[in-house]
Amino acid sequence: MTAAAAQRSTKAAPARKNAERVPWIDWMVLPTVGVLAVVIGYPVIYTLVLSTTKYNMLDMVPPRYIGGGNYEHLISDPIFWTSLRNTVVYTFGSVIVSSLLGLALALLTESLTGWRFRSVRALLLTPWAVPFVVVAFLFRYMYLQNGGVINAVLLDVGLIDKPVLWLNNSALALPAIMAANIWAMMPFFFLLLSAALAAIPNEVIESARIDKAGTWSMVFHIKLPFLKSALFISSLLMIISNFNDFAKIWAMTQGGPGYSTTTLVIYVYWLAFENFDFGYASAIGVVWLVLLLVFALVYLRAIRMNP
Amino acid sequence: MAWRSAVVASTILSVGLAATASHAADKVTLTFANWADAEGATRPGIQAVIAAFEKENPDIQIKSEAISFSEIARQLVLRVRSGNPPDVAEIAGNDTMLLAQTGKLEPLDGHIDAATKAALKPSSIEGLSDKGKLIAFPWTQAPAGLWYDKAVMQKAGLDPENPPKTIDELMKDLAAIKKSQPDVIPLGLDTTNRAFSLISNWPWMKAFGADPFVENGATSDAMKSYLSWMRDLAKKGYIDPGRKIGEFRPLIAQDKVAFLWDQVLLQGVIQSTNKMTDDDFNKHYGVTTQPAGASGKSYSFEGGHQLVMFSDGKHKEAAWKFIRYLATSPYAIEHYTLSYEASLTPLEKAPTDALAKKLDTPVFNAFSEKIMPTVTAVPYGPKFAPGATAIMAGVQQAVTGDTPIDEIAASIQQNLGN
Repeated sequence: MTAAAAQRSTKAAPARKNAERVPWIDWMVLPTVGVLAVVIGYPVIYTLVLSTTKYNMLDMVPPRYIGGGNYEHLISDPIFWTSLRNTVVYTFGSVIVSSLLGLALALLTESLTGWRFRSVRALLLTPWAVPFVVVAFLFRYMYLQNGGVINAVLLDVGLIDKPVLWLNNSALALPAIMAANIWAMMPFFFLLLSAALAAIPNEVIESARIDKAGTWSMVFHIKLPFLKSALFISSLLMIISNFNDFAKIWAMTQGGPGYSTTTLVIYVYWLAFENFDFGYASAIGVVWLVLLLVFALVYLRAIRMNP
Repeated sequence: MAWRSAVVASTILSVGLAATASHAADKVTLTFANWADAEGATRPGIQAVIAAFEKENPDIQIKSEAISFSEIARQLVLRVRSGNPPDVAEIAGNDTMLLAQTGKLEPLDGHIDAATKAALKPSSIEGLSDKGKLIAFPWTQAPAGLWYDKAVMQKAGLDPENPPKTIDELMKDLAAIKKSQPDVIPLGLDTTNRAFSLISNWPWMKAFGADPFVENGATSDAMKSYLSWMRDLAKKGYIDPGRKIGEFRPLIAQDKVAFLWDQVLLQGVIQSTNKMTDDDFNKHYGVTTQPAGASGKSYSFEGGHQLVMFSDGKHKEAAWKFIRYLATSPYAIEHYTLSYEASLTPLEKAPTDALAKKLDTPVFNAFSEKIMPTVTAVPYGPKFAPGATAIMAGVQQAVTGDTPIDEIAASIQQNLGN
C-alpha cells in the first residue's frame, strides 16, 4: 500500500464505521422480529412441542408427553408413506409438465408482436386468473362419468366406448387432478419465461443469427442458458406452493378414492380437523416442515447465486 | 326555581335511564349456532321461526350464527375448548357424540319436564344419551328409505307399484333399468369418503351382516360380501361413484336416477326442483324400506338433527325454552320441520289437528310406519370418524379399483387398528 493510499484508508474508515453502526436503526427491526416471533416462531415451536405429545382435542385433558411416540407411529403408518409418495408425484409431476408447457408456449409466442401477442397472452393467462377452488370444481364436473364434457367428447369422437371414471379410478385420479393443476399453473411459467426471453440481449440473438444458428440450436444453445435461472427459481417457488396444495385435491376427491390422492396436507387435515388428533398431526406437520425447509434453503441459495 | 326544575328533570332522566337499563339487563341474548341459517333452502324458515319465538318471548333475543354443516363440529369443539360456546347449537350424527366427548354438553334431564318427555317418540331419544344422561334433544327425524322413480321403472318394463323387496330383486331391476335407459343412474348411493357416507352405507353393511367396528369385523366374510357387492354394482355401471348424496337429488327430479337411498327430506328437494304438486309427486315417486339381505331384514339410519346446550352457557333456562320451542311448538313444526326440512317431528302425536293432517301423506306415512321401525343404531363415538375414513377408503378401493377384496379388507382392518 502506498502512503497516499494508506492515508485515504485511515481517513475513510471513521466515515464507514459511522454509517454501518447506527444503533437506532438496529433497534428498528425489533417490532418486525417481534411480529415474526409471534406469527411464525410461536406456532412452529408449539407444533414441535405438540408433536411429542398425545393430544386429542376432544379429551379435554392437557397434552401428555410421549417423546418420539408419534414419530415411531409415523414410520409404521402406511397412509403416511402413501401420502408422502402422492405429494412427491403430484408436486414434481405438475411442476415439470407445466414448466415445459409454459416454456414451449413462451418460445412459440415469442415472435408475436402488437395486438396478436397481447391477445394470445391474455388468452393463455386466463387459467391463472381463475381461483383454484373454481378450477377444481370446473374439472370435477368436466370429469363426471355421467354428464361430464370430457367423457361426452371422447365418446362422441369414438376414442372410448364407455365413460372413463377419471376421478373414481385409483390409477387415474391423481393424474386427473394433476392435469387440472397443470392447466392452472402453466400460465405462471409462460408469463415468467416470456419476460425472461424478452430480456435476452438483442446483440446475442443477432450474433447467433450471423453465425447461422438454426432454430433448435438457437433454443438449446442461446435461449435456454439465458432462461435457466428463471426456470429454476420459478420451479422452486411452484414446488413449495404445490407441496401445500389443499384446495384442488380436497374439492375434487377429498383424498380418494381410497388413499390414491391423499397428500400430506390432506392427511394432516383429516387427522387434525376430522379426528382432532393434534399430537400425531403435528408430528406429520414437522416432517412436512423439514421437507419444505430443504426446498426453501435451496431456493435462497439459488437466489444468492443468481441475484 | 331553576335548580328545582333541574333536579326534577334529572330525576326523571335517571328513572328513565334506570328503567331502560333494567329492561336491557332483563333481556337475554342467546347465541344459536346452526347451519339452517347458512343454507339458502332453509334460511327463510329458521328466520321466521326465530322471529316468532322472539315475539312470544320479548325478554329473549336470538343471535343466529350461521355455520355450514361440514364446519359446525370443528367450530363447536374449538369454541368449547376456548371456553366460548354458543348457548344453543344444531348438531347431527356422529358430531353430537364427538361434542359429548368434551364433557361440556349440558345434561337435559334436569330441564325436560315429564309432559314434554312423554310427548316424544321413545325412539327419538334413543342414542342421545352419554353416560346415562340425555345430552341432546331431537329436533327433526330424517331416516333414509329407498326412493323409486315410477316413470323410470315403467320405461324399464318394471311394475312401478312393486319396488324391490330383496337385494336379489334390486339387482334384477337395476339390470333392466341399465339395459333400457343407459343414461339413467340405476342406483344413487353416496360413496364419498366422509363420516356421513359411512352412516348412509351402514344399513347396507348391516344387510350383509357386516360390522367393521367389531374385532376383526373388517376381514369378516360378511364385510367381504358387502365389498364384493359394491364392486359388482360399480363394475356393472349401476352406481355412479364419487357423488355426494346431494348431487343425486336434482338428477332424480329429472328422471335421471331410478332408485335413490336418501332421507325423508328428498320430497321437498324434488318438488323445489321440478315444481311438482303433491299429487303429481305421489304419482311419480314412491319410497319404501331397504331391500332385505340374506337375513330377510331391512335397515335404515336416523339422520335427523338435534339441539344441544352447553354446561358453560350463561342462560340455560332461556336456552332450554328455545330448544323446546324449536322442536315441539306447532308453529316451528309447521313452518320449519315440515315446510323447510320436510322431515318428521320427534313428537309421538301431532300437537294440533291441522298438523296431523299435514303429516298424513303417503311419504310421511311410509317413513313413520314402515321405515322408522327398521332404523338401526350407528356406532357413534370417538372411534367413528377415524374409522369412517378407513372404512370408506376401503369401500372406494373396492368400487374404483381391481385390488383383491381380501387385500382391501385386510387394509381396512389395519387402518382401523392404526
